[in-house]
Amino acid sequence: MLRLTQAFLLAVLAVAIPFAEASAQERARQRSPAPATTRLSFVGLADKAQVPAKLTVRFAISGMEVLPAGQAARNAGHHHLLIDTELPPLDQPIPSDFNHIHFGGGQTEAEIALTPGRHTLQLLFADHNHVPHDPPIVSERITVEVPATAAEKPRSAAAPGARVFFIDLQDGATIPSRAKIRFGTEGITVTPAGTTSANGGHHHLLVDTELPALDREIPSDFNHLHFGRGQTEVELSLPPGEHTLQLLLGDHEHVPHDPPVVSPRIRVRVVADGQTAVAASPSPHAHGAGRARTASPNDAAVYFVYPRDGDRIYPTSTIRFGLRNMGVAPAGVAKPNTGHHHLLVDTEPPSFGEPIPADLNHIHLGGGQTEYKLTLPNGRHTLQLLLADENHVPHDPPVISERITVIVAPGGPHARRRR
Amino acid sequence: MISQARIAAAGLFALMAWQGAAPEAAAQAPTRQPAPPGAQVYFHYPIDGLSVPERFTVRIGLRGMGVAPAGINHARTGHHHLLIDTDPGPPDQPIPSDYNNIHLGNGQTEVVVTLPKGRHTLQLLLGDHMHIPHNPPVMSPKITVNVR
Repeated sequence: MLRLTQAFLLAVLAVAIPFAEASAQERARQRSPAPATTRLSFVGLADKAQVPAKLTVRFAISGMEVLPAGQAARNAGHHHLLIDTELPPLDQPIPSDFNHIHFGGGQTEAEIALTPGRHTLQLLFADHNHVPHDPPIVSERITVEVPATAAEKPRSAAAPGARVFFIDLQDGATIPSRAKIRFGTEGITVTPAGTTSANGGHHHLLVDTELPALDREIPSDFNHLHFGRGQTEVELSLPPGEHTLQLLLGDHEHVPHDPPVVSPRIRVRVVADGQTAVAASPSPHAHGAGRARTASPNDAAVYFVYPRDGDRIYPTSTIRFGLRNMGVAPAGVAKPNTGHHHLLVDTEPPSFGEPIPADLNHIHLGGGQTEYKLTLPNGRHTLQLLLADENHVPHDPPVISERITVIVAPGGPHARRRR
Repeated sequence: MISQARIAAAGLFALMAWQGAAPEAAAQAPTRQPAPPGAQVYFHYPIDGLSVPERFTVRIGLRGMGVAPAGINHARTGHHHLLIDTDPGPPDQPIPSDYNNIHLGNGQTEVVVTLPKGRHTLQLLLGDHMHIPHNPPVMSPKITVNVR
């Protein structure tokens, strides 16, 4: 076997030597010729322009054709975008790194993200081997500026004592390669992404990564898992070995709060299978601990048929509920993909891990009702719907409506707007 | 159209058959669940006379009662049936299950239907755990929609 490989290598060398000798004389790659009239430029992007941190850059070339990398053809090539860098050596393949972005698929535009400050941008065309043409087809080098204020988003406030933590999972724990990770919150409520709420947010699980920038959207990739529907647990698959886990709450726009609600970064050891000793002691006061939650279909949604957000309504109004992709069942009836409605009046959503409280602010529709005649004092009120299972525990992920605001007035929708 | 005619014919036969067997059926009919006074089933969407696309969501409202999946015997509950281009059958018999009588047996309160272009009638009828209408039947008025 070994001898065979050696023989093969020798054969390859024998074939390769004449070529190596030929190219060694120049020490440079063969460059493809280009017509002198070719022009390469940015589209709609001027020198010294002010640009947002995230922008789409478009490229225009005249006199040559754009082909994906690897396809050799006369008068053709693909784009490269040089960010904050000088031209590379023109007789070598263009490097591939953060400063030299290849568009080997034949793309003619790209979305790039820049940090605040001044940056230079330049286009360089290259042939099928990523080597610039002769003469090089290169655009003007332009400078753009990302204003420092552009990246600043008003961050949602979090209550001072708010915290987020792993449930039954401690630093240094050993977990199987497929493990259920559960998240708890305290002093802040879990609301789905897209739902604006005071002191609310949704979980992000950071796997094997540092904290991202706290003044912008949390990235969404394999290292930053979003739980935008308000999920409080995940079945996580990790390869065996050491990993780090960290929880970070994001607001309705996935931006961390101010101050950020973040858990300590814990280290876990993942073992292939068998002996796992989850160093765990269930914390009785932890939100979301203990009770098993009923699963809900991914596309389930609960919503108000009447009223709508911002409506003016009569003091006694019938609130009508809609439910998509699930069914209604009275409390006590255990049937998959069903639940019963709860109308939350002037209150934050309760903890999803426990039965919904029953009081004047949490109206249970345990008989399977799909509407409710509600009497409210005049003024502004908030309404929200939350479906729960036979034990009054919200599903996982919770099936919860937007929190709407209504204005109760004696004349209802016909009341005069006060000036 | 042909299939509709066929279904209508089948419905007619069923009706005739039922009339023939009426005395026996009445004797065998299980006791019907009482409907609370004031109970009412109605359409949130569509409403009578509306023009709708071929594929639309029927949203169902229920007043004075609750929804429970089929098979769940709870007082003051039932599950929805959407009757398309058909009349309700005898009130003491289970609601048939076919293309014209859509059962929402999991407690659904809305259903997406696809109908051919033209005029169609829709009607809602609540059934108890055995798919039998309540006494008196909790039934919406029959509405007509124009599918365009």
